[in-house]
Amino acid sequence: MRKTYGKVLPGMKLTDLAGKLIVIEGTDCAGRTTQINLLKPWLEELGHAVLDTGMTRSPLAGEGIRRAKEGNNLGRVTQSLFYATDFIDRLENEIAPALRAGFVVLTDRYIYSLIGRAIVRGVDPVWIRSLYSVALKPDAVFYLRVKLEDLIPRVIFSRGFDYWESGMDLYPAHDMYEGFCNYQRALLGEFDRLSSEFNFETIDASPEPKAVFAALQTRIQAVLNPEKSYLTRKVEETTERLTRSIDARGVFAAASAARDAEPSLQPVARLLNGNGNGHH
Amino acid sequence: MGEMDISSGLRVGPFEVLYPFRTEQSSTRASREGNYPGRLFIVEGIDGSGKSTQLSLLHKWLEAKGYGVVFSEWNSSPLVKDTTKLGKKKKMLTPATFSLIHCTDFADRTEKSILPLLKAGAVVLCDRYVYTAFARDVARGMDRKWVRDLYDFAVKPTVAFYFRVPLETAIGRITAARDCLKYYEAGLDLGLSDDPIESFRIFQGRILEEYEHMIPEFGLTVIDAELSVEAQQAQVRQIVKRQLEGVQELRIRP
Repeated sequence: MRKTYGKVLPGMKLTDLAGKLIVIEGTDCAGRTTQINLLKPWLEELGHAVLDTGMTRSPLAGEGIRRAKEGNNLGRVTQSLFYATDFIDRLENEIAPALRAGFVVLTDRYIYSLIGRAIVRGVDPVWIRSLYSVALKPDAVFYLRVKLEDLIPRVIFSRGFDYWESGMDLYPAHDMYEGFCNYQRALLGEFDRLSSEFNFETIDASPEPKAVFAALQTRIQAVLNPEKSYLTRKVEETTERLTRSIDARGVFAAASAARDAEPSLQPVARLLNGNGNGHH
Repeated sequence: MGEMDISSGLRVGPFEVLYPFRTEQSSTRASREGNYPGRLFIVEGIDGSGKSTQLSLLHKWLEAKGYGVVFSEWNSSPLVKDTTKLGKKKKMLTPATFSLIHCTDFADRTEKSILPLLKAGAVVLCDRYVYTAFARDVARGMDRKWVRDLYDFAVKPTVAFYFRVPLETAIGRITAARDCLKYYEAGLDLGLSDDPIESFRIFQGRILEEYEHMIPEFGLTVIDAELSVEAQQAQVRQIVKRQLEGVQELRIRP
C-alpha cells in the first residue's frame, strides 16, 4: 500500500496506486528536463506506460502562477500556496490516476523543491511540511546535484538569469549574478538537509548528460525490477533442485533435498517423505 | 468592492495571535506574533445570515466617525481570483484544491493588505475570514487540523462576529433572493443530492455544525441573526466601540 507523509486527501485510495512514482529533483539547470526527455522514450521502449509531469503544468493553477510571477508582487506565503494548489491539482487529477492505471510517473520536481524554496524564502518549515503531509511518498527520489560553480556556466549559456531563480525577491543584491549565487547556494544547502530527511538518491549531475542518464537507468531499473526477496530466491532454488532430484533418483531423494532446504519448506519435505514411503 | 483602498491612522494596542509561532525566522511568524496598532473586525455566518449587511452598516458608521477603515472581502485577490473563477466555472475543484485556492487568495490579501494595514493602524473589516474556510473545507471532508494548520499565518481578529441563524431561515432568505444556487455554494460537488436546494440544505447544515464547534474553540462573538437588522447593528457597534475606546488617534478626521 502506498503511503503519504501523514494525512490522506479525501477520496484518495492508497490501496490501488500500483504504478511507480519516480521523482527527479534538482536546482535550476541541473538537467532534470534533459534527463526526463531521455528517460521517457527509454521506459516506453521497455514497455512501460509513462506520465511525465512537472511544476506549474496544472490546468487549474499553471496559468495563474505564470501571470502572478510576471508582476513581481507575489508574496512568499501566497507563492507557496499557489504552487501547492498547482501540485495538488496534478496529484489528484494526473499522478494518482496514472499510478492507479499502473503507469510509471516521472515527475520533474516534487514537494521537495517546493519545501526547499519556501524555507529559503523564510516560510515556517513546520508549516510547509504540514501542508505537504498529504503528498504521496514516491518510490524513488533522484536528486541531480550540481555544484554552484558548474551551475553558473549552464545558466549563462542557456537562458540567462531569471528573476525568481536568482532570488531577486529575496536578497538586496546588486545584480542577478550575485542574487543567483546567494539564492542557489542557500537552495543547495537546503536540498542537502532535505536529502537525508526524505531519502534522496543523490546523483552527481556535473558530468555529461549521457553519463547521468546511464546512472539513472541503472537505478530506475532497480526500482522497476526490485531484486527478488531472499525467500523467493530460496523457494525457486529448492524447486529447481527438487525437480532435478525427482528426474534422477526418484521421490525419496527429492524429499531429502527438501529437508536440507529452508525451514519454511519443511512441511513440503514431510509431505514428499510420506508420499515416498507409500510407494515403497 | 474587491480591492482595498488604503487609509490609515495610528494606534497602539496589543494584538493576539491565532496560534503560537514555532520557529525563529519564519515569515508566517511575523503575522502571528503581531502587536499591531490597527484593529481587525470580521464577520462570519452561513449564506443568508445577513452578515454582509451588518458589516456594511458598521463600515459606514466607522467612516462617519472618522476612522480609517478598509474593507476586504473573501475571494477577492486580484492575483488569484481568476484561477478560482476558472476552477469553479469548469468544475475542476476538488475539496483539496478548493481549500488551497481560497487559502492562496486569503494569503495574498493578508500579505498585501490586511497585515500592512494593521501595522499602519487602520481598522480592517473582513467579510468572511479563516473560519469560513474551516467550516466549508471540513464540511467538504478535509482534515480539521490540516486546514487549521494551513491558515496558521492568519492574524487573529480583534473581534470575530458570528451571525447565528437557523438553517431554514437562511434557506428562505437565499431562495427568495436568487434564481438559482451556484454549484459549489450548494455543495453540488459532493454529490449529496441532485436537487440543488436539498444539497444546499445538507451542505449548509454541515457548515452550521462546524461553526457551532468553533464558537468556543475560537471565542467567536455570537449575534442572533434573527433579531431585527437595527438590533443586531446596535450590538455590533457597542462591541466594536469598546475596542476603539480611548483611541482617538485612529481618526483621520476630528
